[in-house]
Amino acid sequence: MAISGRFVLLALTGLVPVMLFPDWGTVLLVCLLLCAALLLDLSVAATLRKVKLDRTLPGNVTLSGSAESVLTIGNTGTRRLRAVVRDAWQPSAGAQNPRQRLDVPAGERRRMTVLLQPARRGDLKAPHVTLRAFGPLRLAARQRTLPCPGAVRVLPPFHSRRHLPSKLRKLRELDGKAAVQIRGAGTEFDSLRDYVRGDDVRSIDWRATARRSAVVVRTWRPERDRRVVIMLDTSRTAAARIDDEPRLDTGIEAALLLAVLAERGGDRVDFFAFDRRTRGRAGSASKGNLLGQLVQAMAPLEPELIELDWSQVPGQIRQISAHRSLVVLLTPLDGGAPEEGLLPMAAQLAQQHLVVVASVRDPMLGTMQKERATAAQVFRAAAAERALLEREAVAIQLRQMGVEVVDAEPHQLPPALADAYIRLKAAGRL
Amino acid sequence: MTPVLESTSQPASERPAAGVRIAGPAVTAWIRRHRTWTLIGLVFALGVALTIIAQLSPGRDDAPLSTRNAAPDGAKAVSVILGNQGVDVRQTDNFAATMSALERADGHSASGDRTTTLLLFDRNGYLDRGQLQELQRATDRLVVVTPRLSALTALGGDIRPAGVVPEGVSTLEPGCGLEDPAVAGAVTAESAYLYQAGRPCYEPSEGLGGLYASSGDGRLVVLGSTQLLSNARLDEHGNAALALRTLGASEQLVWYLPGIADVTTADAPKTLDELAPPWVAFLGPWLALVAVLAMVWRGRRLGPLVFEPLPVVVKAVETAEGRARLYHDAHAVDRAAENLRAGTLVRLARILRLGPDAESTAIVDAAARHLGRTTEQTSGVLDARPRTESELVHWAQQLDTLEKEVTAR
Repeated sequence: MAISGRFVLLALTGLVPVMLFPDWGTVLLVCLLLCAALLLDLSVAATLRKVKLDRTLPGNVTLSGSAESVLTIGNTGTRRLRAVVRDAWQPSAGAQNPRQRLDVPAGERRRMTVLLQPARRGDLKAPHVTLRAFGPLRLAARQRTLPCPGAVRVLPPFHSRRHLPSKLRKLRELDGKAAVQIRGAGTEFDSLRDYVRGDDVRSIDWRATARRSAVVVRTWRPERDRRVVIMLDTSRTAAARIDDEPRLDTGIEAALLLAVLAERGGDRVDFFAFDRRTRGRAGSASKGNLLGQLVQAMAPLEPELIELDWSQVPGQIRQISAHRSLVVLLTPLDGGAPEEGLLPMAAQLAQQHLVVVASVRDPMLGTMQKERATAAQVFRAAAAERALLEREAVAIQLRQMGVEVVDAEPHQLPPALADAYIRLKAAGRL
Repeated sequence: MTPVLESTSQPASERPAAGVRIAGPAVTAWIRRHRTWTLIGLVFALGVALTIIAQLSPGRDDAPLSTRNAAPDGAKAVSVILGNQGVDVRQTDNFAATMSALERADGHSASGDRTTTLLLFDRNGYLDRGQLQELQRATDRLVVVTPRLSALTALGGDIRPAGVVPEGVSTLEPGCGLEDPAVAGAVTAESAYLYQAGRPCYEPSEGLGGLYASSGDGRLVVLGSTQLLSNARLDEHGNAALALRTLGASEQLVWYLPGIADVTTADAPKTLDELAPPWVAFLGPWLALVAVLAMVWRGRRLGPLVFEPLPVVVKAVETAEGRARLYHDAHAVDRAAENLRAGTLVRLARILRLGPDAESTAIVDAAARHLGRTTEQTSGVLDARPRTESELVHWAQQLDTLEKEVTAR
């Protein structure tokens, strides 16, 4: 049960008779009248047991976008439903008009549209709907909360999409689709064609030239159908916020850009998010659009407050790809003790695969390291220096093992990783 | 971090949204979920109940010289002894009850010959002149304990206050011809008042006035000490004898301790309540009722709150800042200097293209050559060992400057 502001006003006007005839009898009478009005209005309000709810969900929505969730309220009772309805979305779903007044005549249905502007990635839920049915005088209402679960999946925004055209152009240049075909751009033999002035003389195929009258050169193209395996670390270190963005989100952006680029480059892409168990998985082997699958797999990812189990990583990668692949590890270089986890595993993986470790560097460390005005700042600079040296040491060790290291600030990481991929592809190391 | 982990890692679908269940949950489950608050509520309720019981329990009375007070300053002992000796002791706390008790006592006594005694202990001077005189008329014998001047004036007679017993006097001898004091002997004199009368007894010294004063006809007796009657001191010296002889002379004893209810208000000015029109009395309560209704209106929530599973996000630079504070608190100047030096050397080696395995002496030499200075100058900066924090700050800035110079050339 609930009362309305109108009832409070009515009670206030009850002051007039009480003032005019100041007596306890009057007070009692006015109170009785108020109670009677309240009960009468309540008794003729529509019964909420005969309300049918039906939800139509928008499905997927990107983080910056908006969506409409439609709730259908059917009144199967015999009385008119004058209701205030609250569609209880969780706060980060950003419901703009979750409370609405609705007038549903007996036996009819009405639709209520709630505009959602999600503020967070992931599965956002609306567990229940609360209805408040007023009587015809709108003095009092019955209230009931009905379970009516609904959810909307908010996909990662893929801001790094803007880097895609330039990286694709670079990739096409390798592929020979662009005008110039240069020797060294790839190692796979593509075709023979007539010599054009300016071609490298070393690429002339003498045997073919001997068969024909004209000089013929060989062309190469980058390898295709190689495998790219992207591992996203969702362990406790992914919860760290760098430059107003958690490491996890930066990793998602980088993984999306690389995956889309590699797919266009003709390679097979597999993605998995892992800490102690697989949190999400997508790949171009399965049906459907790779990008769609990736964002679906990435949307519900959250950092888990546990340590990454490095010993399981080679097994996971072996399950995905038995052959030599480009293994991209999106993991921090300074997460606790890389000597125990990252370094031995990277060494083991590097024997069979080409390993790239992509890590986010904190620009704050650079700022801290340069400020040296006071004692406190100098100690901060020393601490930052220490952190940077540790990262540097790990990166050097990794490079000595033949592992590629991409270390960039949050907004630079996706394009830097894409560049690393293009470089490796151009060098034919995939 | 473990509780955070539990609260965030669990998917929202697995938890029951509180209050959403329409079916009534078991009471035990509810109590288990709200165990802490249930316990606190129980303890609070128990405390309130005990306080109320303690306040309402009958027979408890902590007024000084009350016959129901068994504390050191009460007078339960003397009243019980009097009762055992056949005296009917009745305690009253307001004027009307006292008058009716006195009337009843008069009715009980067949002969009507000095059989009613009234003990009056008006600690705060609540009674006015008229009431005192009425009491005096209604009783045969009036024993007043430590009265004020106003009370004594109202009661007539020539007994007047005469100060207090001097410091250091612990007992007083009767020293007068009256029968009761003479038989009782010495009494406690601590914190007692003195009264001047025709025949004062227990005088500390001649002419100062006494602790026990009596009017000529013996109908008014003034006792200058509450200690005489108190539970604590009744058994000392002749206290008990004096108290019992003074109060036990008649069959009926009314023990009157006036309270706040006896204050007469007849001549007080009219209060605001009496001046205001009658409806004013209803205005406040009605507005309060409306306010409560408004609270109910605004306070009723439209359905339960929705759980928001917030992800854990930690500022990444926290670890470095924590380490900096540790260095600072421990005054780890050496460690900080080593870090800064190592960082600078690594960067210089990269700038000067010496490779990652270069020795520090080689870097110092290369930097000196690069800047066109002597090796001593650069090693003076790079190999310095700052001892204090101020030296460290100065040296750190020198390092920074050197690095910038090398980069700039």
